[in-house]
Amino acid sequence: MKYFARKFGMLIFTLLISMTINFFLPRLMPGDPAKALMDRMEGVDAEKLDSVRAAFGLDTQDSLPVQYGKYLLNTVRGDLGISLSRFPMPVSTVLASALPWTIGLMGLCTIFGFAIGTLLGIWAAWRRQRKLASFTVGFFSFIRSFPYFWLGLCLIYAFAFKLRLFPLGGAFSIDQARGSAGWWLSVLRYGTLPAFTITLSSLGAWMLMMRNNMINVLAEEYITLAVAKGLPAKRIKRVYAARNAILPSVTGFAMSFGFIVGGGLITEMVFAYPGMGYMLYQAVNAKDYPLMQAIFLIIAGSVLVANFIADIVIMFLDPRVRDGAK
Amino acid sequence: MADTTLLEIDHLKAGYATKAGFVRAVDDVSLSLRRGEFLGIAGESGCGKSTLAYAIMRLLRDSARIESGRILLEGTDLAGLDEADMNGYRWTKLSMVFQSAMNALNPVLSIEEQLVDAVLAHRSIPRAAARDLAMEMLELVDINADRFSSFPHQLSGGMRQRIMIAMALLLRPDLLIMDEPTTALDVVVQRSILQKIQELRQRLGFSVIFITHDLSLLVEISDSLAIMYAGKVCEYGPSRELYGAPAHPYTKGLMNSFPSLTGPLGRMSGIEGQAPGLIDPPPGCRFAPRCALAEPRCLSGDPVLAELSPGRACACVRCGGSL
Amino acid sequence: MIKDFLKTLVENRKSLAGLIMLGVLIFIALFAPLLAPYPPKADRTERTALIEETVGDQETLSEERLSDDVEKSTYVVATSRKWEKTVNYFPLRAKPSSAHLLGTNHAGNDLLSQLIAGTRISVFVGLATGLFVTLVSLTLALLSGYLGGVFDDIINFFTNVFLVIPGLPLMIVIGTYIPMHGVLPIILILAFTSWPYPTRLLRSQVLSLKNRDFVMASRMLGERTSFIVFREILPNMISIVMSEFFAVSLSAILAEATLEFIGVGNITVVSWGTILYWAQANGAILMGAWWWFLPPGLMIALTGTAFVLVNFGIDEISNPRLRKR
Repeated sequence: MKYFARKFGMLIFTLLISMTINFFLPRLMPGDPAKALMDRMEGVDAEKLDSVRAAFGLDTQDSLPVQYGKYLLNTVRGDLGISLSRFPMPVSTVLASALPWTIGLMGLCTIFGFAIGTLLGIWAAWRRQRKLASFTVGFFSFIRSFPYFWLGLCLIYAFAFKLRLFPLGGAFSIDQARGSAGWWLSVLRYGTLPAFTITLSSLGAWMLMMRNNMINVLAEEYITLAVAKGLPAKRIKRVYAARNAILPSVTGFAMSFGFIVGGGLITEMVFAYPGMGYMLYQAVNAKDYPLMQAIFLIIAGSVLVANFIADIVIMFLDPRVRDGAK
Repeated sequence: MADTTLLEIDHLKAGYATKAGFVRAVDDVSLSLRRGEFLGIAGESGCGKSTLAYAIMRLLRDSARIESGRILLEGTDLAGLDEADMNGYRWTKLSMVFQSAMNALNPVLSIEEQLVDAVLAHRSIPRAAARDLAMEMLELVDINADRFSSFPHQLSGGMRQRIMIAMALLLRPDLLIMDEPTTALDVVVQRSILQKIQELRQRLGFSVIFITHDLSLLVEISDSLAIMYAGKVCEYGPSRELYGAPAHPYTKGLMNSFPSLTGPLGRMSGIEGQAPGLIDPPPGCRFAPRCALAEPRCLSGDPVLAELSPGRACACVRCGGSL
Repeated sequence: MIKDFLKTLVENRKSLAGLIMLGVLIFIALFAPLLAPYPPKADRTERTALIEETVGDQETLSEERLSDDVEKSTYVVATSRKWEKTVNYFPLRAKPSSAHLLGTNHAGNDLLSQLIAGTRISVFVGLATGLFVTLVSLTLALLSGYLGGVFDDIINFFTNVFLVIPGLPLMIVIGTYIPMHGVLPIILILAFTSWPYPTRLLRSQVLSLKNRDFVMASRMLGERTSFIVFREILPNMISIVMSEFFAVSLSAILAEATLEFIGVGNITVVSWGTILYWAQANGAILMGAWWWFLPPGLMIALTGTAFVLVNFGIDEISNPRLRKR
């Protein structure tokens, strides 16, 4: 329980820090933030500018601590201000339209990437003397050093532009009635390339993590004992080696759920996939500060909550953590 | 039961590959073990005694392997078995207790699971029966039944080692190999574990190969002793005789490096220097560079074990060993 | 210690390959202006040639006798020169040709020259960030691990907090706010978001070394702290410090390219990331201009591979279990 309380305290504190960064960022800009904003946003109408100032609490004569307090209160209430690029839509409404796409795409990719990557990692460690295993490890290490937005560009070029198998971007066909069977099919077709990019780039990390953990675990004496006991190889691999080696991966997996919101940012940008990433891209280009900050906050929040959940999961999986021995 | 040979190790060579070359940690070792016998193997760390134990269990992995020689268990050559056949022998015929129970027990499985799966791997019996068997064995090593569902980290070092022993004896093997089973424990616990082993041995009648760097542990409990130095057995014999009149200079040195428990307190001398590297060792007696009694002929050839009396042998030119 | 480390690094096949690749990249970065066929932002070549020169008659303006021995005269010679200036505008969005091996971009800049010039910025930003972050986290780790106490608690706490705040979105948001002059801001942003992980790793290494026997012995002997830290702890951390340096440099190069690609960052600088930004902004894919977007990504991937290979070698040195026999 002490473990739980400590982790929970950490969650609250990190959330607070994220919000604080968010609060101070506009105020750290050189010079008068309001003026700096005005300079950067040429030709915006007065009404918009007022809402920027309001969003940052720059329109008041309140002292900094009071502004900070008000900001925290508003954020906790879910009031994230007004979007500039989609004026006068509240930021929360804009986010609500983007979130399902991101969660759908990234959620599936996270699960696929983890499952395939972990299985490959177990295999690569178990068969590490084989050529094919070391080739696979080398291949994914190479893929990992690619900038993955560029991987996306290459896939678009090859499969969408040259072969015309998949659309160039977007998330669904506009020719189909929303919600119809054809529309859902188009969602699948439009999602394939982005999903492939994300899975391919995340799979390698899972694989390498699992492989290295597994190799370390395989050198443990309890594996030798399991062999000495004459246990079947399958049981040693699964129950003795993989079960121990997967502990860090499971933490990573739980954490990666936090990256569902923020992990595909760049891929979404490349594929013009209408999720949080593409939204952030648009917000950056349109200098939509309130929207941008809200996206950062949402991403940070989900990562932090997922981390917390990961800590709780590990508490159930590892008896040593449960007893506070570690 | 008496005087039948259980295990015969015949010119065994084993070791592991390193970047610098092949380290022959076990170099031409021959030993035999009778049913019910307690054989102690002693030597400094790095002398190959653990590699020998791992070779018998066929646990050498990755870069380590058996080069040549035979390990005959009741006539079957373990060194020649394939992995599946070997699995049939492991734990049912011979089992092993490791040095560190903390490292050898799987941290995420309960004691129950780890005991039961050893039984279920070899016996087609219901899980409940396997559990009963495990419980019974735990009782033998004085572990309370309420510890059954504990995890390794919840137990004390002595308890863990007793559980290891219970696990090793689950299937009533003929041979129990113990690789420094008490090294990680304090002296008091060490003693109770040794007593437990003796008690169980009388009850169940298994043979023991007990490996340690601490010769003093073996004196009281072992029937025979083998002293290993740099991959070779340099002296072998009934422990009482060997302890009473060590023949090999190394054995003498080893005995001088700990205080006698019963005799008068003499000066502890120890042995100067270190054992040679085992990649391409120089010709000549391997102990010669450290031996106070070395003569020029010691450097020209490696002495082989020569029988001093039936069941007693020494590999030194001074005790009649040929080069 | 350092010598041994370098020796094993060179002896390991993987890390040697990585070091060679890295050496080539650094060579390109250093001598970029000499290697590139054109300046990166040139959209034309200008050649001016003298084609005719006529020397006219001499006309004396004045003659003066200053003394018996000195005479001074002034005269003009009318000379006319005929110059020819050829301005060769580069084609816009051109395919690869002998003049432009990788074609040109929307502004007519030679893409090969941009790629070579971009090497300088990208490799510099990567290594500079790597060095900066490594120094900062090593300092924090040594202070935290060695001084211990409240100091350690504070550093450790903030490391853990910043460790979990997602880096990329934070970089994007900060990058959009602060004005971009040169590449220093981007280095600072990258450093700000990448210090926690190496700090935590190095700190745990310091802590474990601190409790090793040889350090304990020195402390009991009353050695000065500076001696223990610099002569006993640091030399034993070389491989992990180097490995962190390469890891941070790699992620900095990737992150820089990413930030520039989405337009956060200084788009007037020529780097691999900005080439990709302009390629995307000008629809290079829809034009089928693979020569525009493919090479910069490949360069990034190659650089990344170089770092990964070096780190593979380091891993194998420090963790023998991973070594393939």
